[in-house]
Amino acid sequence: MNQSEAAPDPAPQGDTDNAVDAAYEAKLRADYDGQSRDDVLRDYREMLRIRRFEEAAARAYTRGKISGFLHLYIGQEAIAIATQQVMEPGDRVVSTYRTHGFAIALGSDPKACAAELFGKAAGLVGGVGGSMHFFDKARGLWGGYAIVGNHIPVAAGHAFASQYTGDGRVTLCFMGDGAVGIGPVHEGMTMAGIMKLPIVFVVENNQYSMGTPLKRTLPVEDITARAAGYGFASDRFHVTSVQETRRRLGEAVERARKDGKPTLVELITYRFRGHSMSDPAKYRQKEEVDRWRLNDPLERTLMALKLIHKVPEAELDADDETIVAEMDAAYEFADKAPVPQPAARFDNVMAEGPYYGDSATTRPAGVE
Amino acid sequence: MPILQIRQAIRDAMKEEMERDERVFLMGEEVGYYNGAYKCSEGLLDQFGAKRVIDTPITETGFAGIGIGAAMCGLRPIIEFMTFNFSAVAFDQILNNAAKLRHMTHGQFGVPMVFRGPNGAAHMLGSTHSQAFEHFYAHIPGLKVVAVATPYDAKGLLKTAIRDENPVLFLESELMYSVKGEVPEEEYLIPFGQADIKRPGDAVTVITWGQGVPVALKAADLAAAEDISCEVIDLRSLRPMDEAAIIKSVKKTNRAVIVYHGWPNGGVGGDIIARIQELAFDDLDAPVLRVCYEDLPMPYAENLENLILPSPERALEAVRRVAYKR
Amino acid sequence: MATVVTLPRLSDTMEEGVIAKWRIKVGDKVKRGQVIADIETDKATMEFESFDAGTVLKLVAPEGEALPVGATIAVFGQPGENPDAVDGGAKPKPADKPATDKPATDKPATDKPADEASESDADEEADEKPAKASAKPVAPKPQPESVAEVKHAEAVNEASAAGGDSPAPKATSQGTGPEGQADRGRIPASPLARRLAREHDLELGQIQGSGPHGRIVKADVEQAIAKGPTRAAAATGTSAHVPSASQPAGSPAADVDEHGRPYISRPDRSVKLSQMRKAIAKRMGQAKREIPHIYLTMPIVMDRAVALRAEFNLSVDGTKASLNDLVILAAARALRKHPRVNAHFTDNGIVERGDVHVGVAVALDDGLIVPPVRFADQKTLKQVSIDVRDLGTRAKEKTLKPEEMTGSTFTVSNLGMFGIEEFCAIVNPGEAAILAVGAVQDEAVVEDGKIVARKRMRVTLCSDHRVFDGAESAKYLQTLRKLLESPLSLLT
Repeated sequence: MNQSEAAPDPAPQGDTDNAVDAAYEAKLRADYDGQSRDDVLRDYREMLRIRRFEEAAARAYTRGKISGFLHLYIGQEAIAIATQQVMEPGDRVVSTYRTHGFAIALGSDPKACAAELFGKAAGLVGGVGGSMHFFDKARGLWGGYAIVGNHIPVAAGHAFASQYTGDGRVTLCFMGDGAVGIGPVHEGMTMAGIMKLPIVFVVENNQYSMGTPLKRTLPVEDITARAAGYGFASDRFHVTSVQETRRRLGEAVERARKDGKPTLVELITYRFRGHSMSDPAKYRQKEEVDRWRLNDPLERTLMALKLIHKVPEAELDADDETIVAEMDAAYEFADKAPVPQPAARFDNVMAEGPYYGDSATTRPAGVE
Repeated sequence: MPILQIRQAIRDAMKEEMERDERVFLMGEEVGYYNGAYKCSEGLLDQFGAKRVIDTPITETGFAGIGIGAAMCGLRPIIEFMTFNFSAVAFDQILNNAAKLRHMTHGQFGVPMVFRGPNGAAHMLGSTHSQAFEHFYAHIPGLKVVAVATPYDAKGLLKTAIRDENPVLFLESELMYSVKGEVPEEEYLIPFGQADIKRPGDAVTVITWGQGVPVALKAADLAAAEDISCEVIDLRSLRPMDEAAIIKSVKKTNRAVIVYHGWPNGGVGGDIIARIQELAFDDLDAPVLRVCYEDLPMPYAENLENLILPSPERALEAVRRVAYKR
Repeated sequence: MATVVTLPRLSDTMEEGVIAKWRIKVGDKVKRGQVIADIETDKATMEFESFDAGTVLKLVAPEGEALPVGATIAVFGQPGENPDAVDGGAKPKPADKPATDKPATDKPATDKPADEASESDADEEADEKPAKASAKPVAPKPQPESVAEVKHAEAVNEASAAGGDSPAPKATSQGTGPEGQADRGRIPASPLARRLAREHDLELGQIQGSGPHGRIVKADVEQAIAKGPTRAAAATGTSAHVPSASQPAGSPAADVDEHGRPYISRPDRSVKLSQMRKAIAKRMGQAKREIPHIYLTMPIVMDRAVALRAEFNLSVDGTKASLNDLVILAAARALRKHPRVNAHFTDNGIVERGDVHVGVAVALDDGLIVPPVRFADQKTLKQVSIDVRDLGTRAKEKTLKPEEMTGSTFTVSNLGMFGIEEFCAIVNPGEAAILAVGAVQDEAVVEDGKIVARKRMRVTLCSDHRVFDGAESAKYLQTLRKLLESPLSLLT
């Protein structure tokens, strides 16, 4: 769609080193102090994989390969990467319809993710879910929920199960800032607070509830002010780097795991694209977007690699090429992959096996 | 054989299943210390403790969702709605999560759980508390919907529901919790999708379930006095539905009346008629009639409520009409 | 603007008509009121005076072919205009109202009333029997036994037997009508009754429905099955080679004479039903099926009536009365005294008719018609005689106007001139009785212990038992006898 072209090119110029002002560099050096070259490079690559996956999705969408709604994670990648890094095996991520980033971060095969976007049988959920309904249980991705807020009680239920069985797992439940007004969020958090469930609720505050800015949807802009009412611990910070996000999310996860106490974390972040592919994002100014770009964790990581770790341009370019090639291959795979068999629609409706409808009068032709 | 009330049969079913399977727990408003708003969980807290008999705040969406999330992790929740009228608050959880998660996740998750509680009108509760929800839930693929009318069926079907791998909506009736009946001491299960012929007959098939059953049986008594022999079929489960039993009976009697709680438009009654006309059209000797709520919200005033509720007299009138005996 | 000329309904029972002869040809300029055709109806051949003016663009209906009322028979317009520009102008097209009422683009919809739907379908289905049957215009009175409706019922039956998607658009369009409109053509029957009737080869039209709105239900069909013999039995009979009339059972030698020579066999001759024959067949069949007849015969001594008539015929103005005229007058006067005999039966009750119009059966070459002597009870013998003569003459010429052929409340049928002593007639639908009049004959009669010669006539009152009973019939005949045996009062 044309609005994706309208968005500014996120890729930084190669020779901006000298243009970076001193304050920026000082902050960068402070933030990345003590981070090894390998760690920073790893975080960079992981975030870049998400961004390149999303960019390829946008391109495929404009070519008509993807239909329905497509919500991109560009700008918020550090959250998914940090989350993956604080999880232990068996921990769960429950997320929203903006969930590609978590899938890529948690290790889902980009081929399966792309195939899902294309509605193909090889998709993450067999092509029945699409962009908004990613689930990959084996990698800890427990959705994938497209009705805003209705996964909060479900995530609380996962945490309840952990408490009930004593399996020691933590559930990380993500939502957007736009979700916090809806009823199930309140009910789910109330229950989690009463039952003291091992859960971390994370609000990814990307400044807009679709096209409506925070101040028009939140009576109190600090969402963590609500934590007190539920008996939660809370934390609130700008996401500017993977390592800082990892450190503070890690505290919340630890609190859930060790103390069985929920935390409400508000992550202030920014999506550089519209709400979905059909959103031209005219409700915000270019200057605003540019300002947020200075805080884009991906760009800052790149700068750190260049400024602090002096990673050669050629190496970074080669990394990028490798990732672009990986994602191109994934989308090419998706494009060529077969669509689901007609009989696939009978699968997974009921536990007993293929389900053809409850009545002879409504059963599809040719069945029984 | 012991004589139990339906509420006791329900309690026994839960008790036995909780004893049998540690994954089973009961969650809802007033299920624990209060022993259940209608005493269906009497004694369970004492036996199983607060871990497995869990009182909740008034958060239907919250505890319905917790049940779903727990079921996805392999537990087997029983979620009690104090009445199914409150399930409307949790409707999205049932519609979009319970019913669809197996499908949406391509089988990565199942949702083996039971939502249960009293359904339909009771006595003078007004419009918000007098609604029949099977018509909403039977619409949704991915769910099972059961309605019970006897202690025997209540116990056998609830045990089946708790062991089912799918989300089951289990509908009871506030007015029928005290209905008594024989319940065997030894364990038994009643499979879903099997109607029960509560009374054999050959002139008119009367199809019913849940709170409709006593109405239909009474109407059959009245009809018998007029020499019209009714076959009363208690469907017991509405999804899956025992279509074969309905069609077999209609092919015998050539006529049918459907007696149930709920509004006429868009409900299970119309669905049954659709099945009959499609599968037994050439066996019909009369139009199939419905005896259900009048198409109106339920008033509190007793006289008005009685006009709207399906009654044995109204059912008898319908029986006469399809039998061409007027 | 071209104008479509449709076959007019020229009598209240007319459903079809035949253009006996066109009086115009293409290119003629026609004025309003000009006779454009002779149309054979069920009653008579009528001159059809045009309602429209214009130049004859096309004569659609061929001479001699039966068409439903409302069918297009001709197209008028401006010279040189394309006659096919009008809707349905190319072929006979049934309709019960003028085609100009409808836009030319009218397309059939499945839920259209039968008349409209069939109109648009006429082109494709003109040869199809059920289509024609249902093309019948809305009948003026409910006549559920009509041939057309029985045929239609079969069409409906076939449609449901074939799963409902068979090519029977009429059946579908009519079948959607609500209950209570049974008289529109569809026979209401439960699906089960239809299936049972189908399986037993019964026609729904032959079964009386006992359900709401006359719906035929299972019990009705079972009763009909039990009653038998059914069409199925007849069909089985034929296929079982029951010997036909020309081959008497057990005597194959019957085909040869005593010399062994074969008798001469001649082929059957099919006679196309005239409009009148069709009407008689329908109405008499209907009467015999529906009306429980009762027959009472009364001998009447006619000496004085014969003498009176002879004297009357000597009158100076030359009016001649027949004995039958006397009987008609007497019958009419007797009806005044017995209003129940001048009546008819309806589902809502019995209607005793206020006026007395005595129909006089007139035999024609191919049937009979029954024009009424109107207000016969109030007429003089002379006027009755004049009326009867005029009606008889013009009936044979087939020049009676429609209103002159209908409206009788009672009928007199006289076969005495053929030497018939007495006979039983069939009550005309819409009446309660018909008087069958035999010949006046010299007979030996015992009077006061002596045998005397008397002129005697036997009349049989054939009546609808639903309307009145034998005693009422007998009383009427007594009155009639009194009037004819003391006939002077008939002159007052």
